[in-house]
Amino acid sequence: MQASRARLFKEYKEVQREKSADPDIQLVCDDSNIFKWTALIKGPSETPYEGGVFQLAFAIPEQYPLLPPQVRFLTKIFHPNVHFKTGEICLDILKNAWSPAWTLQSVCRAIIALMAHPEPDSPLNCDSGNLLRSGDVRGFQSMARMYTRLAAMPKKT
Amino acid sequence: MDPEEDMHDARGESSQEEEDFYSEGYPSDGEDEDDDGDDAGYDFVDNDSDDPSTDVRRLQQNYTTLNEENISQRQADDINRVSTVLSIKRWEACVLLRHYNWSVSKVHDEWFADEENVRKTVGLLEKHIEMPNKRELTCGICFENYPRDTMKASPCGHPFCFSCWRGYISTSINDGPGCLMLRCPDPTCRAAVGLDMVDSMASREDREKYARYLRRSYVEDNRKTKWCPAPGCEYAVEFVMGSGSYDVCCKCSYSFCWNCTEEAHRPVDCGTVARWILKNSAESENMNWILANSKPCPKCKRPIEKNQGCMHITCTPPCKFEFCWLCLGPWTEHGERTGGFYACNRYESAKQEGAYDESERRREMAKNSLERYTHYYERWAANQSSRQKALTDLQALQNEKLEKLSDRQSQPESQLKFITDAWLQIVECRRVLKWTYAYGFYLHENEHAKRQFFEYLQGEAESGLERLHQCAEKELQVYLEAETPLKDFNDFRTKLAGLTSVTRNYFENLVRALESGLNDVGPSNSQAGSNQAACSKSSSSKSLAPGKSKSGKSRTGGAATSSRSGSSRGMDDSIWTCDSCTCTNPKSNSHCQACDRHR
Repeated sequence: MQASRARLFKEYKEVQREKSADPDIQLVCDDSNIFKWTALIKGPSETPYEGGVFQLAFAIPEQYPLLPPQVRFLTKIFHPNVHFKTGEICLDILKNAWSPAWTLQSVCRAIIALMAHPEPDSPLNCDSGNLLRSGDVRGFQSMARMYTRLAAMPKKT
Repeated sequence: MDPEEDMHDARGESSQEEEDFYSEGYPSDGEDEDDDGDDAGYDFVDNDSDDPSTDVRRLQQNYTTLNEENISQRQADDINRVSTVLSIKRWEACVLLRHYNWSVSKVHDEWFADEENVRKTVGLLEKHIEMPNKRELTCGICFENYPRDTMKASPCGHPFCFSCWRGYISTSINDGPGCLMLRCPDPTCRAAVGLDMVDSMASREDREKYARYLRRSYVEDNRKTKWCPAPGCEYAVEFVMGSGSYDVCCKCSYSFCWNCTEEAHRPVDCGTVARWILKNSAESENMNWILANSKPCPKCKRPIEKNQGCMHITCTPPCKFEFCWLCLGPWTEHGERTGGFYACNRYESAKQEGAYDESERRREMAKNSLERYTHYYERWAANQSSRQKALTDLQALQNEKLEKLSDRQSQPESQLKFITDAWLQIVECRRVLKWTYAYGFYLHENEHAKRQFFEYLQGEAESGLERLHQCAEKELQVYLEAETPLKDFNDFRTKLAGLTSVTRNYFENLVRALESGLNDVGPSNSQAGSNQAACSKSSSSKSLAPGKSKSGKSRTGGAATSSRSGSSRGMDDSIWTCDSCTCTNPKSNSHCQACDRHR
C-alpha cells in the first residue's frame, strides 16, 4: 500500500513536471484519491480517431506496480479491441505481459498505439473485428469515424 | 505342479482330512515334526505362489516409483550434469533444462547446434553486464534512489531495489508455475531470473513454493515421469519408454496405466477405455433412453414417457394437448369408433401401410442398443464395486483379522502371507474382469465365433474367481472362529495357495489372449491358414487349461478335441468345422449338428 502510494506520487510529480512533454496525453489524478486517475488522449493522426479526444479511467490496485492498473474508455469508441458498451480494453500489457517498469504514461502510449494498430483477431467488439477481417476497411473506417464525431468531438452548436 | 491336480487335492481334502487327522493323532507329542512339516509346507507354498509373481514383477519392472526426495535428487543430478558439461552456472542449467522439458540430451543437442540462439530464446546472457557505475542508482520499479551496493540485478544489469525485487518475485510465484520462466522486470529486457535470485531474495515461504513448482515441473514436463493419479498420493512414476505393458503399480499400491493415467485396464487398450468412460458419462445415453422410451408431444414437442394407463394422453400444463399415444393424432378424432381407449384403428391401418416404420424402427434400435449397453455396464460396475469391497476386506484382514488368526492358529503372521496374496489376487482379478466387459461391449457383433469364445473364457474366469473368493472369505471364517487342528489349517493353506496360483495363471493367460485380440480364433476363411490357426488355437487352449475349473474341465477336453480335429482338417476334406461352436461335422451336413448354424 505504502509502496504503491509512493510510486504513484512519483508518477504524479513527473506528470506535473513534464506536462508539455507529450501533448497527446493529459493525465489527471483524482483530487481525493491517488488510486483513481483519468486521462485524455488524442486520437492518432491518419486514423479514423483523428481529431477526437478520448477519456480513459484508471483504477489502480494496491499492489501497483506489481499488478497492472485497470483501464477503460469512458468515451464511446468503435474499435475491435475495446468493448463497445463497457469500454474495457484488450491489451496484453494490461494483462499477462505487464511489467512493473511500465508507468501510467506508458500505458497511455500503448493505448494510442493500439488505436492506430487494431488487432482484429482477438476482438472484444466483434462487429468491428469482422469488418476488418472481411477486408472492409472502408466500412470500418466510416463507422469508427462516425462514432469519433458523435462521441469524441466537441458538439457544434 | 499341475494346478489341476492341486485343485482336486483341495477339493478332496474335506473328506480326507478327518481321517488323516485321527490317524496322526493329536500333535502334542509330535510338535517338532509338525513344525517341520509346517515349514516345509510354507516353503512349498512360497515356491509355488510367490516365485511366479516375483518373476512377473521382475519382467514388468520397467518403471520406478519416486518419492519427493528421489525427484529432487534426480533433478539435482541432471542440473549438475548440464552445468558441468556446458560450463554454466547451476541456475542457468536449471533454466535451460526447464525450457527443454528436463531432457538432458535435448539441451546438449540444441546447445551445441546453436548456442547463440538457445541463449537468446531462454534469456541467458553470455556476458554478465554490471550495473551502471554510479554511487546512487534509481530502482526501475519504485523510482527511488538507493546506494549502488544495496541494489541487485540479473546478469543484464538492470538495477532494482531489494524490496521491489522481492515483491516482483513474490507476485510471480503466487501467480503459479509461470514463475519458473521469470524474466527481468524491464520490459525491453528478456534476461532470465533464476533460482539464485529467488533464493537470495524471496521469503522462505516463497522459496519453498518455488522449489515445489520446480519439482512439479520436473515430473510434469518430463516425458519419462508422471504423478501417480491416486488421490493424496505424492509419488511419481518414472517409466522406461517402449518397454511393453503400460500398467504400473505405484508404491501406494494404486495401479494405473502410465499411458492414459486411467486406472490399470489390461487387457483393454487405452482408446477403448477412453471411449467406454466417455460413454458412461455421456449425455448420449440419456438421449438414447429418451429416444427409446418416450415420444414427443405432437404439439409442444416435449418428450413424454408413458408408464401406465390408456392411450389417451393429456400433456402436462401449460400445453394440455390431448392426443392418442399410438398415432399421435388429436384425441378429438378418437373414441369408440377408433377402437376405444386401448387401441387405435387409425394406427393399425396406417402401420400396415408402413407409415410408422422409420420412427418405430429407430426407437426399437435405440432400445436394443441401450439394453446391450446396460447389460455390459451393469456387470462392469458390479465388478468395480466387488473390487472395492475386496479392497476393504483386504484392509480389514490386514488390520485385525490376521492378528486374530495368528493367535487362534498359533502361527506367526509372516506365515499367513498366503491369505493376503489370495486377496490381492482377488482384487486384481476383479479389475481384469471388470475391463473384460468393456472389451465385450466393443467386440464386433459380427465376429460370432470370437464372441462366443470370449464369453466362454469370461465365464470360466468368473467361476474360477468366484471359487477363490469363496475360499478366501467363507472358509477362512472357520479358522477365525475357533482353534482347529493344525492339519486342517495346513490343508486350507495348500488349497487357498493353490487356488490363488491357478487363478493367477488363468487370468494372466486371459489377459494375454484378449490383448492379442483373440487372434487364434478366427473364421476359417482360408483353408491354407487353418493349420497354423489350429495350432495356435490348441496352444492357447492348453495355455488356458491350467486355470480351468472342475466345471470347465469337460469343456477343456472338448476344445482340445476340436482343435485336434481342426489340425487334421487340412488333410481330411470329408469333415468341416463349425465357425460358431467349433464342432466337427461330416461334409454332407449343411448345418452344424451341434448348434444348427449354417455352414
